Amino acid sequence: MQRYIARRALESLLALWVMSLVVFTLARFTGNPLDVMLPLEATPEDYARVAKHWGLDQPLYTQYAIFITRALQGDFGMSWKWPGRTAMGLVAERLPATLQLAGFALLISVLIALPVGVLSAVKKGTGWDAGAKVIALLGQSLPGFWLGIVLMWIFAVHLGWFPTSGQGGIQYMILPAITLGWFQVAAMMRLVRSSMLEVLDTEFVKLTRIKGLSEWKVVWKHCLRNAGIAPLTYFAIIAGVLMTGSVVTESVFSWPGTGLLVIDAVRARDFQVVQAVVIVFAGIFIFTNLLVDILYAYLDPRIRLR
Amino acid sequence: MATITIPWYAPPRVAHALRQARRYPIVSIFILTFFLVVPAVLAPQVAPHDPLKGSLSKRLKGPVWQQGGSIEYPLGTDKLGRDILSRMIYGARVSLAVSIVAIFVGGAIGTGLGLMSGYFGGRVDALLMRLVDISLSLPTILLALVLVAAVGPSFWTVITVLVVLLWARYARLVRGETLTIKERDFIARARVAGASHTRIMTKYLLPNVVNSLIVLATLQVGYVILLESALSFLGAGLPRPTPAWGLMVADGRELIVTAWWVSMFPGLAIMLTVLSLNLLGDWLRDHLDPKLRNV
Amino acid sequence: MRRNTFVVLMLCAVVAVALVAGAVLTPASAQGQRLVFASAGFEDNNRFWMISRPDHIQYDPFLETLLDVDPKTGEYVPRLAEKWSVSADLTEYTFHLRKNVPFHFGYGPFTAKDVVHSHAMMMRPEATATLAGFWRQVEEVKAVNDHQVVFRFKRPTTVMPYAASRAGDLRIVSKAQWDKEGDAGFDKRPAGTGSYRYVGRQQGLSITFERVDNHWKGERPAYKELVFRIAREDATRLALLLAGEAHVGDLPRELQKDAVKKGMKIHSSTFAVDWMTVYLGGQYYMPGDTAFKPDVAWTKKPVRQALNMGINRKELLNTAFAGRGSMAYVTGWNEQSEGYNPEWKSRFDQMYGFNPAKAKDLLKQAGYGPGQLKFKIIAFTEPGESEGPQVAEALGIYYKDIGVETEIEVLDWAKVRDMFRKKTIQCCIWPNIISWRPAEEWVRISYYSKSPNHHYENEFIDKQYDLLRNAIRPADRQRIARTIGDHLFDEFADIPLFWFSNEVVANPKMVAEWTYPGSGAGRSTHWHLIKPGK
Repeated sequence: MQRYIARRALESLLALWVMSLVVFTLARFTGNPLDVMLPLEATPEDYARVAKHWGLDQPLYTQYAIFITRALQGDFGMSWKWPGRTAMGLVAERLPATLQLAGFALLISVLIALPVGVLSAVKKGTGWDAGAKVIALLGQSLPGFWLGIVLMWIFAVHLGWFPTSGQGGIQYMILPAITLGWFQVAAMMRLVRSSMLEVLDTEFVKLTRIKGLSEWKVVWKHCLRNAGIAPLTYFAIIAGVLMTGSVVTESVFSWPGTGLLVIDAVRARDFQVVQAVVIVFAGIFIFTNLLVDILYAYLDPRIRLR
Repeated sequence: MATITIPWYAPPRVAHALRQARRYPIVSIFILTFFLVVPAVLAPQVAPHDPLKGSLSKRLKGPVWQQGGSIEYPLGTDKLGRDILSRMIYGARVSLAVSIVAIFVGGAIGTGLGLMSGYFGGRVDALLMRLVDISLSLPTILLALVLVAAVGPSFWTVITVLVVLLWARYARLVRGETLTIKERDFIARARVAGASHTRIMTKYLLPNVVNSLIVLATLQVGYVILLESALSFLGAGLPRPTPAWGLMVADGRELIVTAWWVSMFPGLAIMLTVLSLNLLGDWLRDHLDPKLRNV
Repeated sequence: MRRNTFVVLMLCAVVAVALVAGAVLTPASAQGQRLVFASAGFEDNNRFWMISRPDHIQYDPFLETLLDVDPKTGEYVPRLAEKWSVSADLTEYTFHLRKNVPFHFGYGPFTAKDVVHSHAMMMRPEATATLAGFWRQVEEVKAVNDHQVVFRFKRPTTVMPYAASRAGDLRIVSKAQWDKEGDAGFDKRPAGTGSYRYVGRQQGLSITFERVDNHWKGERPAYKELVFRIAREDATRLALLLAGEAHVGDLPRELQKDAVKKGMKIHSSTFAVDWMTVYLGGQYYMPGDTAFKPDVAWTKKPVRQALNMGINRKELLNTAFAGRGSMAYVTGWNEQSEGYNPEWKSRFDQMYGFNPAKAKDLLKQAGYGPGQLKFKIIAFTEPGESEGPQVAEALGIYYKDIGVETEIEVLDWAKVRDMFRKKTIQCCIWPNIISWRPAEEWVRISYYSKSPNHHYENEFIDKQYDLLRNAIRPADRQRIARTIGDHLFDEFADIPLFWFSNEVVANPKMVAEWTYPGSGAGRSTHWHLIKPGK
């Protein structure tokens, strides 16, 4: 077991290191940040001066060496689009907003997927089933930003139920969370449905029915038990998708999370911030996977012994 | 899915035909053919106007049923006076082209790698799975933004981004299937008979995997279309003035209340197409390969 | 079973964290009289020496400058400096500073030391403000006494009043604060002298100001609290306005119509602020310049004229900009510029006017029959300037009509800049919106061969520019500037399109009247002059 954990941990670190290389190179492909930073008036001397200040005049491998040694200590450098702020500081500041949105979106999609999935399973093959499938699939078929803008116009401007954008209390989160979360409803619903179907056919349930317990009691008892039905790995993927999918949603609703941060940073060619965000995201994803694998190994001896 | 009820008064031949039809997702297939395949293939014949030519004096005309609309531009015109209907028809072609190419390339790469990974196991497998992890943990939008910032938006940039996103899922799927199949008797027999690795992979493993591949591919066409529209929204999609649905919705986004038709119709097209593809994919999966339920 | 319970617990934990975080992150909602401005976005940061002129909008309410711009006449008038004088050779500028001007948050009175300090901030190695290069030309800033400061330049300049005014970027900040709190304190809460003072920021979201009671000039803005909200999506800003969450907004012209229909009013700046021109790449006519490629079509003057005559400017203005703009005759020059020649207006129709038949003729004479001329049009968008691609596509359509094939490439602005700075843009033409600058500055940036941007350069312009920058007498300066302008006009150096005022849309109940020049840094300035509705 120990060996397994050690091996997986090492592999994860390796993956993270490769990510750092990839993002370092890719970021620099976007071009010269000096073109963004300096005004039209800038002369070649101005370019040289600012390049020197930010260490951009050094050869690439030197820049990478500096980057990686500092990164290992948690220092991702200073942002140059947001002067005076550290790259990691910016990510740390914006990450809670994105996590919050993703978490809420996940909650909403579970709240929708659960009853719809149960209904669909219980009334399998009927119009209810078909209808439920279509509703869930609708979420997977709408372009996210279009949905967001339409929701904003209907509920915020015309009906005035929610604010249009920004961050504040829960009411600011609802429209963006629906926009973000609806996409996942279909997949979750399908899982709930198939799991419920499996269960509804078992001898145990048939026995309970024969015993005379109410149909609905049986259904709901099992439904609650399966509330967290999404297998662990799928959960990790959902989280990843939600976090990256939030870029579009954050843009429409001006939600100050990491998605918006990344767009601004890429546009401004702020390598430090881009690197920080990508590595943090990748780190979270890789770490979650690691955790999941270890837990699976713990729960399922066959894997350990492989 | 289709719940076609057969009227009691239907003559026997018709009733039989309907009963047969019931077995297939008729509605989806119909929508897909009408919205995606026919326009894509017959675009030059079917579209009433040139999708790239517009007249600034005819800009933002509403659809035919609105005040100011005319039958000449049934679904209205966009900011530059181009006919929305024609652009949508050509857009079907673009969406289909992007999806097919991206899925083909991504699927080919993913399948190849997945086969090797599952078949050879060991180090190759471990390496590949790490690669899959890495590719799945690359924030996709970021990759697109960066690539476009570096290279400029183009058909091939979008394809590259999509391929990087898609291949991993195929690899994982194919690897999983390969693992289950490779211990079977007929594989062992082939090995004993002296078949080379490549031969075993292509002749024995691949055909067994094809079913799942088809289902996954169908399910992914919709996803790809949505992704392309998201990329266009962020400015990292297909280049102007390509009549791509995603680009059209993005273009009309600030006019979504006043000149709603600029975004609404292509948005509807995306929705209907993707919905039908998803339904079709679901049906295919239920009938061809229930194992894919959790993909 | 354990697996599922675990997952349930994890889900609950995530949800709990999310909700708690939400409660913690909720900022206190403000009460009372509040004006909210929905902006397309700016680099939100307090370090003004790293911020470009248009983004100085965020400093206008609370950080002041030595001179002001009169909102009605556009002249440079006293502000923190009571009067100023310039030496005969235009190298020394003396400012006599106002007395009894308090800094916010109790950092003491404004003195000459603060001016020296503010300039020193501009001289930092990372300074990337629009006029940072200009400020580096100051050889010495001396505080003669507490209320008199002298700027001495390496060479004569007439740009100083512009640069030291509200149109420039030398924000006067407190040396006492910096001595005490350093950069960190300045980042957190910068002290200024304006009629609003800084309250705080939410990075990427908003910046808040509150009215000051003891402003040195007695300026008393109508609104106690002023908030600049950042919303980069055009539709979102419109939504904010219509939902009443914002009261003033920066909208593209397309959406201004819709806001007006719903009862909003447009407030225009007094003067035109930005112009749009289509630049033609590759015009490097200095002898021996290897970047010059003779096969680029528009190196021939008739082709340049044809490209101008192929565009229906009136129609383009009406469709892309809702008719809200005026014609530009020479790129960068308007009536406020040195050397403006009214003859350009009268000759414009004949030389540049819409005439597709003549355009086709000119092309044929130059050797380009229908379909033979092909090039790329580059389009890019910046927040708040979304019309670029639309104009590019419109150009494509006009040029198709005169037999020219074009292809549109959408790049980002930084990439385009990289291309024209490195002289690799011979392939393409590109529309761009630029803010007004004094003529000498504009020529230095764009047409002077040692400029960074190389829009159109030749020996004649170089000679004239050298004369201009050493010219001291106003009559001479006018003459030389006009010569340069005439040359650009006659040579069809590029494709001038329109001049635009700055326009914001506001709820008439909140903003009944607002006079502002537009030439102030940030375009929307003089917030204290807003008169609320009844």
